[in-house]
Amino acid sequence: MAAVHRPGREATRPQLGDGLRHVARLTGLELKLLLREPMVAVGLIGFPLVTVLVLGGVFGSVPDPDFGGVAPADHYLAGYLGVVMAAMGLITLPVHIATHRELGVLRRFRASGVTSSSIVISEIAVGAALATAASCVVLATGTAVYGFRAPEDPLAVVGWYAAGMGCFIAVGCALGSVLATSRAANAVGNLVFVPMFLLGGGGPPRAVMTGVMGPVSDALPLSHVVGGLRQSWLGQTDDPHQLWWPLLVAGAALAASSWLNRRRVA
Amino acid sequence: MDNDLKEPTDARRRGPDEGPALEVRNLVKAYGTRRVLDGVSFSVGRGELFGLLGTNGAGKTTTVEILQGLRRADGGWVRVLGLDPQAAGDGLRRLIGSQLQDAALPDRMRVCEALDLFASLHPAPRPLDELIDEWELGHLRRRFFSTLSGGERQRLFVAIALVGRPQLVFLDELTQNLDPVGRRRTWEVVRQVRDSGTTVVLVTHDVEEAERVCDRLVVLDRGRVVAEGAPASIVAALGGETVVRFTDTALDVRRLRRLPGVRRVERRGPEVSVVGTGPLLAHVGAHLVAAGRPPDDLSAHQPSLEDRFLSLTEETS
Repeated sequence: MAAVHRPGREATRPQLGDGLRHVARLTGLELKLLLREPMVAVGLIGFPLVTVLVLGGVFGSVPDPDFGGVAPADHYLAGYLGVVMAAMGLITLPVHIATHRELGVLRRFRASGVTSSSIVISEIAVGAALATAASCVVLATGTAVYGFRAPEDPLAVVGWYAAGMGCFIAVGCALGSVLATSRAANAVGNLVFVPMFLLGGGGPPRAVMTGVMGPVSDALPLSHVVGGLRQSWLGQTDDPHQLWWPLLVAGAALAASSWLNRRRVA
Repeated sequence: MDNDLKEPTDARRRGPDEGPALEVRNLVKAYGTRRVLDGVSFSVGRGELFGLLGTNGAGKTTTVEILQGLRRADGGWVRVLGLDPQAAGDGLRRLIGSQLQDAALPDRMRVCEALDLFASLHPAPRPLDELIDEWELGHLRRRFFSTLSGGERQRLFVAIALVGRPQLVFLDELTQNLDPVGRRRTWEVVRQVRDSGTTVVLVTHDVEEAERVCDRLVVLDRGRVVAEGAPASIVAALGGETVVRFTDTALDVRRLRRLPGVRRVERRGPEVSVVGTGPLLAHVGAHLVAAGRPPDDLSAHQPSLEDRFLSLTEETS
């Protein structure tokens, strides 16, 4: 330990470029940190990939009236883009943020002047990048096994994909704001994700749902994201697909996480 | 922050680069019904190495969190580098460095990545190689945070605190995980940081550390300032009594009471304690030699900051 620095008047007010450079550095590092966690790859890529391959294999590639008249393999493949987003938003992101809070990383960031907006922007970017990469792996593998069906309305697919991403990233940030520990985030995330996955388009088709399953499915944002993706990709679906519903959930989640973050300073 | 007090007139006349580095007046904070800060006031001059000393739960960390704008006070008035921490927010936090107790980094973040990330917050950070050499982190560059020892983590945190050339740095329980050699080396570097012009606030429950390192300190106990000043002046407030001890089963201790400076003499079995002021050891030693009973274990105990600290904290308990 040798000679020390002089405190600087060099430390002038940061410019916009400095802020962007820092957000880029934070985002890159957060992405690396998530990629170093084996469970992220398992949850985000392994689970949807295995499930879509099994369900596509079981139900086959022949058009089926129970699947809205489309091939079950196509039905699942198009919809599983939404499942990947849900896994990212309900489990990966909240566990990541809650782990940061539990270890004191967020406190460390705040004490050093890392702004809340930098953290939120980097989490959004990381969530979007990871979910998109995982979706590409699922799509590429599914296409290689079951063949490629071109989207009927590619722009609508992109629109629904963006809406779904916004919805589940906002929910992920809100859960990360509420849940204090990684264990809690893991437990709550799985508790919400599993039924949402089964009833929201990742499990049985809408036509075979009985009793209260149908109305419950209609209330889940994942059902609408998956339904929208199927409608725009395959041209038809039995699933609900109201765009305002995932957007409303995103708005509510953003408002909740912003309110919770303000309360934490008191 | 909520203000019970108006901004003092003298503070209103100052520019942002003038006046003390820290000013705290009548700071109050409660968690529920538990009042953790109860009218805390002190100030820290620019370039000072200042200590915030107190037992666990005395309110040290809450004070520092309020000073950094990480927590809102219920009452009182605070200025850090002339700025209100709540209003200045992240802008102020970039001017100060902080090594926080109970704050970590992600397990799989590498040392070099952490330094690079925090350097990117500042327009003119210190060269990382220089900082890495200064805090002996060279061989740890590629190591994950989770694999660092307690001392290595502390060194990394201090390096992060200094990366933005701060005008003021908070070091909270800086040496708690260091071995004795590491502690002394760290104290030396903390003095160097002060010598370079940075104001240092050392938050500690370690009395020896406060006494050896700090120019000036406040002692906090149950949310109140119970002593303030240079370590020596706080000790002097004890009255500066010296205790001379030795063992002698047969000596007549009544004669000792007539020696210059002696206030009282106590005997507990074979052990004799002579309490007083001035060159007490010399007088007692000369008397014992003259009496033909020089003891093997003659010793003098000067009052220390620890004695004063214990008496202050016991007085209020």
